[in-house]
Amino acid sequence: MNTFKPILTEHINQQDCHTLPFYRSIGGYTALEKVLKLSPEDVTQEVKDSNLRGRGGAGFSTGVKWGFIPKDSNKPKYLINNADESEPGTFKDRLLMNKAPHQMLEGMIIAAYAIGCHTSFIYIRGEFYKEYKLLEKTISEAYESNILGQNILGSNYNLDVVIHRGAGAYICGEETGLIESLEGKRGWPRIKPPFPAIEGYLQSPTIVNNVETLSCIPHIINRGSSWFKSIGPEKGPGPRLFCISGCINKPGVYEEPMGIPMKELIYEKAGGIPGDKQLKAVFPGGSSSAILTAEEALDVKMDFEDLVEKKSMLGSAGVIVMDETVDMVQACLNIARFYAHESCGQCTPCREGTVWLVKMLTRLVNGGGKPNDIDMLFEITDNIGGLIDFSKGSYGKTICPFGEAVAWPVRSLVEKFKAEFLEYLPEEKVVA
Amino acid sequence: MPLLKIDDKEIQVQSGATVLETAEANGIEIPHYCYHPALEVVGSCRMCLVQVEGMPKLQVSCNTFVGDVHPDRKVDGKYDMVVHTQNDLVVQERKNILEFLLLNHPLDCPVCDQAGECYLQDYSFKFGNAHSRFEENKRVRSNEYLGSQIVINHNRCILCSRCVRFTQEISGTSELFVEARGYNSKVAALEEKPLDNLLAGNVADICPVGALLSTDYIHKNRIWNLKKQSSVCQDCSVGCNVDVFSQTNQIFRLTPRENHDVNGYFMCDIGRYGFHRFEEIERVTQPMIREGDSFVSFKWEEAIQETVDRLNRAGGKVAGVVSPFQTNETNFMLGQLVDGIIGNLSQTDDEEINYPSGFRISSDRSPNKRGMKDVCPEILEDLISEIDKQNIRTIYILDNGVDRDFDAVWKSILSKMDFVVVQTYRMTMLAQSANIILPGLAPFEREGTITNDGGRVQWLRPSLPIKGESRADWEILMMALKALDNNAQIFTDVSQVMKKMGEKIPAYKDVSFFNLGDKGLSLNGIASK
Repeated sequence: MNTFKPILTEHINQQDCHTLPFYRSIGGYTALEKVLKLSPEDVTQEVKDSNLRGRGGAGFSTGVKWGFIPKDSNKPKYLINNADESEPGTFKDRLLMNKAPHQMLEGMIIAAYAIGCHTSFIYIRGEFYKEYKLLEKTISEAYESNILGQNILGSNYNLDVVIHRGAGAYICGEETGLIESLEGKRGWPRIKPPFPAIEGYLQSPTIVNNVETLSCIPHIINRGSSWFKSIGPEKGPGPRLFCISGCINKPGVYEEPMGIPMKELIYEKAGGIPGDKQLKAVFPGGSSSAILTAEEALDVKMDFEDLVEKKSMLGSAGVIVMDETVDMVQACLNIARFYAHESCGQCTPCREGTVWLVKMLTRLVNGGGKPNDIDMLFEITDNIGGLIDFSKGSYGKTICPFGEAVAWPVRSLVEKFKAEFLEYLPEEKVVA
Repeated sequence: MPLLKIDDKEIQVQSGATVLETAEANGIEIPHYCYHPALEVVGSCRMCLVQVEGMPKLQVSCNTFVGDVHPDRKVDGKYDMVVHTQNDLVVQERKNILEFLLLNHPLDCPVCDQAGECYLQDYSFKFGNAHSRFEENKRVRSNEYLGSQIVINHNRCILCSRCVRFTQEISGTSELFVEARGYNSKVAALEEKPLDNLLAGNVADICPVGALLSTDYIHKNRIWNLKKQSSVCQDCSVGCNVDVFSQTNQIFRLTPRENHDVNGYFMCDIGRYGFHRFEEIERVTQPMIREGDSFVSFKWEEAIQETVDRLNRAGGKVAGVVSPFQTNETNFMLGQLVDGIIGNLSQTDDEEINYPSGFRISSDRSPNKRGMKDVCPEILEDLISEIDKQNIRTIYILDNGVDRDFDAVWKSILSKMDFVVVQTYRMTMLAQSANIILPGLAPFEREGTITNDGGRVQWLRPSLPIKGESRADWEILMMALKALDNNAQIFTDVSQVMKKMGEKIPAYKDVSFFNLGDKGLSLNGIASK
């Protein structure tokens, strides 16, 4: 067992860990003090050097993203903290908001400083009411202590933070859907280009970062990019909050270094599978990632690259464990139903295709399956989101990655557990 | 300028041009639904996907911009972008998208008004699959009124959102929005604000399928039965370009015709439904002479002779009334017939309506005031004083065709007259006060030119046949001229009048049907007199 000491969640079990006095007592906001004496370019460079990659799902380099903000634009710049955590099997941002809100806020202020932003938003999932109330308190504490507002900590930097609650749509966690929603419009993702860094919120340069991503920032500033890079694989380093749920003895959030073997995560950290049942499959990165068979799962390291090699993704690091008793066809229907319900309805393939999947799977589960259905499931998922195997054709057929988010789990389920799908076919119709 | 290669074609494009627009301009068809040149690009229908070399995903051509790339990165050493619109990947993707679009589409083409001009039909025929692989139940919804004249058939809707964007960007009224989410999404109008703005009819035109329907045309005819005639709207001084669809003696609908110097892609509902005004009117289709309290029909020769006799008897003392509703050629001919005292019927202005997109409905609801002033000798501001001063007792009037009570001015003029000639298509109050009625043509029967308030001369073309004994208005005036003076020039066609007009009015010297074409001719800022 490794001897990794949690970084983001180090203090979450301590009394009043969410308060400003507590955060100050463990050295909170010293990174901010340091940053305010640096140039925004130096801060961006430090984050770039750390190889920090986004914790929301796509895993894009945070520093590079900040660098896309045009230097010569005289429009206002905006930083949006994406706290619309909605991916099934993912509940890490909620923990960070509950237990270490000032850590996140410090990260936000540093990020805002780096991109020249003076008004920043927290777009929080509507259902997170408790967290919303807590963050309101966090922010007023910060204003009272001159951590937000005018001349922050005696510098000449000003920043306001505004909380905006979502109204219950998964798609508003997608950055351009989020921006539309923040503008008071329907949460329909925007076509790119232009990218948000050029034209985002109110047509102004905008950076959208995830809660966990921002929470890493103070530590990178305090301990340096080389320290951060030394945790886990160099190309995608750092601590990571793994959310383990499903058929597991100790479900919960586990902070571990990137690259921890899935086997260790499931069997050592999270206590294995109840009743010593056999592992059947795992979603490694939320329900939008392609599923891994037990064999694949036990062989994979939880980092960006190893999972891509296994034709899946680290995503939101929501690890959903399934044991031998799970009916994969029912699971597939459940997932398809979720995505059909959450499709925004803008793009043709996603709006029409997700419900086609649900209708077909429902018929299959109810005993009305036809031999051709299995092939059709492949075709429909390919037509919604493109192939998983990029070498065989194009992928990404919709404005936002939602198409892939439904296609990949459904397709991988059918592909890897085809026998179970065939079992649902009425007997006489099974082709030998 | 960047060099783009689409399929086998090399095209030099303006930097920043989109692949879709470039392809269209060069005769390469890329199917699309949500893209409309007048609306913001949303890229949601996914129909216009093409393959761009060097990009891993297919790209929506409506939002793919061609720009200069660094010489080292040019494809094949010379192209800034290479696009495939016909390869297997693209062809297959179109099939896929069409399959999705047809899943819940009712395929009720036999009773759909869009049939024959439907992009879902056309693209399915060209690019789609011949068979459906969908074995589930379709989504079925009832039709709804979005406004008093627009109905939506939700089953046919493909959610391209053109109509929603139209109300946001063109009319600026934002009545429409997409309701609910995903599979349940549907176009809806605000409860407290139905789609009743004066541009509402356009949403039925821009709907690429048969989802949005104008109640005025619903189930009235099949598009392939109708004759399409390009013409110009005559309901205000903007002069929107239109297509008039008719069968035998009946107009069924008007749709806007693209002209970026006039109306862009759209027209207003005043003009769109204006043709109905002429359906129930009391037409005048024979020359008539007053005998006592009633009118008696006469042959043209007799009516013209009577007219000319009375004009002769009056000596030079004849007043003429031109009309901003008439063509340039007709007004010009009256100016030839009545030399000197010319006025026009007063007309009250309506409300001027401006839309955020620049679309305009003029306060002047006559089509040709500018042209009328251009082609006539001086038009008197105060006709009544001149009539008094010169003791005029004979008047030749081109009727506006607008039936309304006389104002005090007109009552006073008519009370002084011994003889009134009214050239009209309709038994108006004015016509009823005439001594002779000469039957001219109704607006959709006329041919000639009208000049809009921006100084653009446009070709008004006839969409309906002439009724009864009626004759072209310019021709009636020519008959009178000929009867007055045996040496007068004979015109056998309106184009000859146009030529004569050009000789006399320098600003109109280039006006000919050939030069006018479909888009009209600007007077190049030559001021009206």
